[in-house]
Formats: sequence, structure tokens, C-alpha cells
Amino acid sequence: MIKEKENDKELNFCCKGCQGVYHLLNSEGLGTFYDKLGDTKLQPASQSSEDLEKFDLEGFKNKYIKTDEDGLSEIHLIIEGIHCSACVWLNEKVLHKTDGVIEASINYTNNKAKVVWDPEEVKLSKIIETIRSIGYNAYPYDPSLQEERATKTRKDYYSRILVAVFGTMNIMWIAIAHYAGYFTGMQQSFKDILNVAEFILATPVLFYSGWIFFRGAYYGFKNRIVNMDTLVASGALSAYIYSIYAMVTQRGEVYFDSVVMIITFVLVGKYLEVLSKKHAVDTLDSLMGSTPTEVTTLKDGIKSLVSIENIQIGDIIELKPGEKVVIDGTLTSGQGSFDESSLTGENEPLYKQNADAILSGSICLDSVVHYEASKDVSSSLLTSIVNLLEESITKKPHIEQLANTISGYFSNIILLIALLTLAGWYFWNGSFETALIVGISVIVIACPCALGLATPMATLVGISIAAKRGILFKEATFLETMAKSKLLALDKTGTITEGKPSVVKAELFEDFDASLLLALVNTSNHPISKGLASYLKEENDLLQHIVLENIKSIEAKGIKASYEGKKLLGGNVDLLKNEGIEIDANSENSLFFFALDNKLVARFELTDTIREGAKEAIGQIEALGIKVVMLTGDHEQSANKVAKEVGIKEVHAKLLPQEKSALINKFQSSGEVVVMVGDGINDAIALAQSNIAIAMGQGADVAISVSDVVLLDEKPQSILEAYKISRRTFRAVKENLGFSLLYNVIAVPLAVAGFVNPLIAALSMSLSSLVVVGNSMRIKMIKFKDNQ
Amino acid sequence: MSENIVILMIGVSTFLGALGLIALLWGVKTGQFDDQSKFIDAARYDGEDELKDAAMMENKKKARQKKREEEKQKNYMPPD
Repeated sequence: MIKEKENDKELNFCCKGCQGVYHLLNSEGLGTFYDKLGDTKLQPASQSSEDLEKFDLEGFKNKYIKTDEDGLSEIHLIIEGIHCSACVWLNEKVLHKTDGVIEASINYTNNKAKVVWDPEEVKLSKIIETIRSIGYNAYPYDPSLQEERATKTRKDYYSRILVAVFGTMNIMWIAIAHYAGYFTGMQQSFKDILNVAEFILATPVLFYSGWIFFRGAYYGFKNRIVNMDTLVASGALSAYIYSIYAMVTQRGEVYFDSVVMIITFVLVGKYLEVLSKKHAVDTLDSLMGSTPTEVTTLKDGIKSLVSIENIQIGDIIELKPGEKVVIDGTLTSGQGSFDESSLTGENEPLYKQNADAILSGSICLDSVVHYEASKDVSSSLLTSIVNLLEESITKKPHIEQLANTISGYFSNIILLIALLTLAGWYFWNGSFETALIVGISVIVIACPCALGLATPMATLVGISIAAKRGILFKEATFLETMAKSKLLALDKTGTITEGKPSVVKAELFEDFDASLLLALVNTSNHPISKGLASYLKEENDLLQHIVLENIKSIEAKGIKASYEGKKLLGGNVDLLKNEGIEIDANSENSLFFFALDNKLVARFELTDTIREGAKEAIGQIEALGIKVVMLTGDHEQSANKVAKEVGIKEVHAKLLPQEKSALINKFQSSGEVVVMVGDGINDAIALAQSNIAIAMGQGADVAISVSDVVLLDEKPQSILEAYKISRRTFRAVKENLGFSLLYNVIAVPLAVAGFVNPLIAALSMSLSSLVVVGNSMRIKMIKFKDNQ
Repeated sequence: MSENIVILMIGVSTFLGALGLIALLWGVKTGQFDDQSKFIDAARYDGEDELKDAAMMENKKKARQKKREEEKQKNYMPPD
């Protein structure tokens, strides 16, 4: 803790970084930032000036910076470390105060920023440095890849929905007057006024907001497919034309209200889909943006920065600690630990030495190494993963929805019946006008009202029940897909297991100050150290903040440090053996030893524990008739151990991300509907490939955004509940569809026979809707065994 | 109640509503709703300071434009 006096006020800082930020803000007159924070706690500020020069490199400029004819440069950045609106405020203000910055706006929802500056006055590296100096970080992304298109679609939908909602709401209150008039009697002249007003309001809704359906129906027609769009478009258009006819001839009732209702409801559903796609794009950008654009190469002993596109096979590349690998290769000199968690999902770093393969996407943790490129950038693992993800976001396989299929057939049949009715009445009755009215009334009464309500109502109830139990379905249709699934693929680390090592056994040989050990493990980012740190915090109440000296981390072994003349040593067996301490290192778990002045004082066993209730949940899922398989990047031995413990029979181990996806694809081609549960970047492609992807709430952003369902409480039991809810909902959907078809079977012949007058239509329509709503509400009575 | 009054009532209220709709559409088009989270917090960042800040950015833009125009004039060469 750093203490400081300022005008009789005592200030406490956790580190030098935060102190620096505080004074910087005060001198700039931005001190109100701390008032704006509210209850938000800040992360300690980390300040680094490394790799700043990369922002002024030519390759970087060509890729990310746009220059307009006025000589201004523009870049899109993702700001890291924003967690509240005060952060957004602070970043904008600081950028505004920087000379040469013409425009800076930050989007709080996705932390993306647009900065426009005058390159003659300020360099980009200076702007990035400014952002870093207040404790945030920024990296660039290319908006033209996905974002521009996604934003445009979103805005487009938003405008169309606004018009649709406006039209619907206004037509509704006019319609109330209409209905009141129908039952109490109303002069034709007033009726005409209301009809014309509805007509004026409905026209933009049908042709502007409903344009999407006409377009969809047109493409469907071109490809000879009858889809939901065809039904909506033909239903709405025929009701619209009929209503105009009724308005002009002053005979019968107008149906402008149902025209706008259909358009509005179906449009809002489509909009939600567009939104979830936009989110996926955001996280993809951040994955790409964090990869370096240049790497250091060694040629004839000379180091130079080369843009990654120009790296050829056989080039020698230097990696510094903390750098991300972008090109695959084999190690030629040096040794060090590599974090491959984004590829395998395993948190434990891998120790690599001469001739070992280096995979792009992994991070070099602790040493400087040289390696030889074995692939160029475009065929490297990282690039192919990102490309696959990009593809999968736009082309996610969905099985055909039941409601869609039925309504496809349904609309065909209704259109046919309507035509036959028209022909029949014209033939028997002779009057074309009567024939037309009866023909159109068939379409109007069969209009998707009940059928359209059947699915959304049931799924809405299903989704809200799931959400109450911490299971978030991103789209209603996923309930239906999931209900049809008979195959569940589970990731191991982070899904069946906790995903982080925790202490299972602690042996203390001598008393020691736990604060010392905490300070030691806090200096490392190794998962074992983190697991130990959380264990120590849990076990001990009073821990002091100690600043250690001479901290030295030893590659893949542990940490050395000293404190007040005492020598601290923490790490694995090798580290202690090197120091001449003999110990028993026989255990199937990961071991951590702690020694003070070369004397062993504590021994900890850590292992990745299986989530609570995993075994029971998997057993119950199998009892539902679902096959459970395990996919993992981990080696066979530990995979089998976990599988045995939870009772999974089929295990696929040592899978790279794209191999997981290929396996899912194989399952699918044998006719399975696959549900996949995962949590990491390594699962993302497989998740995107699967029919239903379930992500753990604490998982990687990419995994969450490509997935269809998110489990907030991360319990394996939730997977079972998701299955139960989706199956129950699907049953209700089927019942609803059955009922509305029955309704049509009765109502349509009446319409064909010409018996339908507006009163019967209004009554039967609202009655059928009530039945559908009531049946959907029954889903709420679903029972979960565990809380009985 | 005559027909004219009904026409007037519907007409005026729909027109007023339409004005609101047009304002919303304009807002969507100019990107004011692009950021839902910021939009919700907007009231907290709508004070004197923000106004000053906006004025400052405006001045910056103007100053730059002026500078460029001056440069243009400096580099201006009359045709022979």
C-alpha cells in the first residue's frame, strides 16, 4: 500500500501505476472520474511501453489506418479494460485533450472506438501511449471485415421495426373504435374515415417494414421453396388487398390491423436473430485484433521486423516473453513454457525445447526463443481457426423448424383451396365479385394468426422458465432443435471439470507466514499459482500485502524470491532438487512445494476437480435416451480418468480445435442432431459447427458468442434441465400446431362455403389464440427432480 | 359529432406521432442509438463540462480547417 498526503487528505494506492494515473487525471482536470465511478472497483493499472513502435510501422498503417482526402487519419480500436461508463468518459476526455485528435468516440457496449487525428500533429503511437498511460490498452481491428455490414443490417431493421410498431399501435386504437362501432352500430360515413386512416397507416408498414418478407418470398420463389416469408407476405398482402376492396366498396370489414400485426411480430423475431449475429462479430474482431502484425526475424544474425504476410517457410523468428505466436513452426534454440489454452483448453503450460512444434495461437510465457517457420501465415493454425469461425457465424447449420415446414405446406394448400373456391363460386354463382370475396376470406381466416402464435407463445414461456434457472437461450427456435437432439458432446476442461486446479491436499511441515507464500504465488500467472492463491485467501483471514525482492521466475519450474534476508522458493520437484532439497514427489496430482531458506515447509497437491453433480446429471441425461460423448484436447490418460469418474463411455482425446469440429461434422453426416457444451476458444469452432452450442457463463467470449445457449451457473445439472425444458416446450409447440390445424380444418370449409361473417371470424380467432396461450402456460408446471 | 371533427382528431394525433417517428428514424440514421449502454447512462454525462468539451472539439476542427485553407492559399499559384 502506498500512502500519500494531499491537502490534509490521506490517499491510499495499491501500486505506483494507480498513483500515476490519479495524478495525471488531477493535473488534466479530470478528477471527477473517481466520483463518476460509483461502486465500481478498478483493476490496478499496468503500464507498458513495449511494442509502441509497431503502431507507426508501414505494414500496420496499410492494414488498419484509413486516410481521407483532407489528410486526416482514421482508425478503429478496441479498448481493453473498460468496465463502466466512467471508463468510457475518461478515455474520451483524455483523447479529446490530446493535441491533434479531431474526433474520438467510444462505444460502451462493445468497447470499440473510432479515432480521427491529424497525422502531422500527433502520431498514432502517441495516442495509444495516452490510452495506456491511464491504465487501459488499445488494439486495432478492421471494421470492413464484418462490422460495417452487421451494423448496417441492424440499423436497417431498427428503422423498419420503428415504422411497424408505430403503424401497429395507431391502427390498434383505431381498430378499437371499429370494433366498438361494430357491436353498438356506427354510420357508414364514420366507418369510412376509420378505414381510410387505417389504410394510410398500414401502407408504409406493409411495403417498407414488410419489404424483407417480400424479398425473402421472391428469393424463395426463385429457388422454388415455399418458406415462412412466402406465407407472411402472401397472407399480409391478400388481407391488405381484400381490405382495400372492402374499403372502396363499403362492404364487409377491413383487416388492416391483422396485416400490421403479422408484419410487426415476425419482424421483431427476425431482428433478435440479427442482434445475436452482431455480438458474435464483435468478439471475433477482438480475437483478430490482439494478434501482432509484425514479427522479429533473424537473418544472418541481423534482427528485423517483418510483416507477417512476408514470412516465408524456413525463416527464423524470435519470440519474446508474453508474445503471441502467429506462425506455426519448430523450435530451433532456447526453451520455455507455452500457454496453449486457446488451442487445447488445458491451462497447464507446456514446456518446449529443441525441435518441438510451436503452434500459432499459443503464447510464449517466460523466455526468449527462436523458431523456424514451417508454414506461412495464411495456412497457420490461428488464421485457419479465425477463418473457420468467420465462416461458421454466417453459415450455421440449422435443422428445418417444424413450424416452418408445416406452414410451408399449409400456405401451399390454403392458396390452392382459395383458388379452387374462387373458381367454384364463379362457376356456380356466376358473380365474380362474390367469388372473389369468399376466396379472399379463406386466406384471411386461415391467415397465420393461430399458426403463427403456436410456436412463439410456447417458446416464449419455455425461454422465460429456462432464464429463471440460469439457462439463457439466445433464440426461441433453439428449444426446438435441442428437443430433437439425441447426441451430447461435452468438452472436458472447464465443462465437466472446474477448469482450474484447486488444492486437494495440503501438508504443512512447519509453521510459516501464509502472507509470504501468497506474495510469492501472486507474482506468477501460472494456473497452479492462481489455484494456490485462491486456496490461501480462503483458508486465511488476515493476510498482509508483502513486497518481495529479487523475484525470479524459473522456466517451467517455479519462482525464487527473497524477503528480509529470507530465501523463498516455490515450485515443482525439479526446482527443489536443483537447490538440493530432496523430497517425495510421488503423486498423480500436480505438486507445489514451498521452501524457506532451503528447508521444505509445505507441500500442496492440486488437481482439476470435477464439477459437483456431473456424474448424476450425465446419468440422467443418458436415461433420457441421449448418447453422451467427450471431446477433449487433453491426452488420453487424464481424459479416460475423468470419463470413468463421470460415467462417459465414448471418449475422443488429443483433439485440435478443427478436429473437434470435424468430429461434430461426422456425427451430423450420420444424421445426428448434435448438442455441444464447451467453454474455451478451442471449443469455438466445434460449437459453431454443432446444431446447438452451449457455453459456460465464465467461458471465453468467443465461445459464448458463437453459442446458442449460455449456462450462467455452470452446473452440469443445467444441461439436463435445458434438455427437459426444450422437450416439454417442443411438446407444447406440437400440441399448439395440432390445435391450430384443427381450427383451420373446421374454419376453412366454413369460409369456403361462404358462411364466414366478421363476427364469427373475430370470435373464433380470439378463441383459438386463447387456447394456444393457455396451453403454452402449462409448460410452467414442468417439474425438475432435484428440487422435489 | 360531425365527420370533420373525427378526421381532424385522427389527422392531428397521427401527424404528431409521425413527427416523433421521424425524429426517431433520424436518430437511428445518425447513429445515436448505436450504443445501448452509453445511451442509458447519457443523463450522467450531460452537464456543463460536456458542453465545454464539445465546444473545444468544435474549435479544434475549425482551427484545423482554417490551417488547411491558409496552406492552400500559400501554395496557390496563379496560372501563367
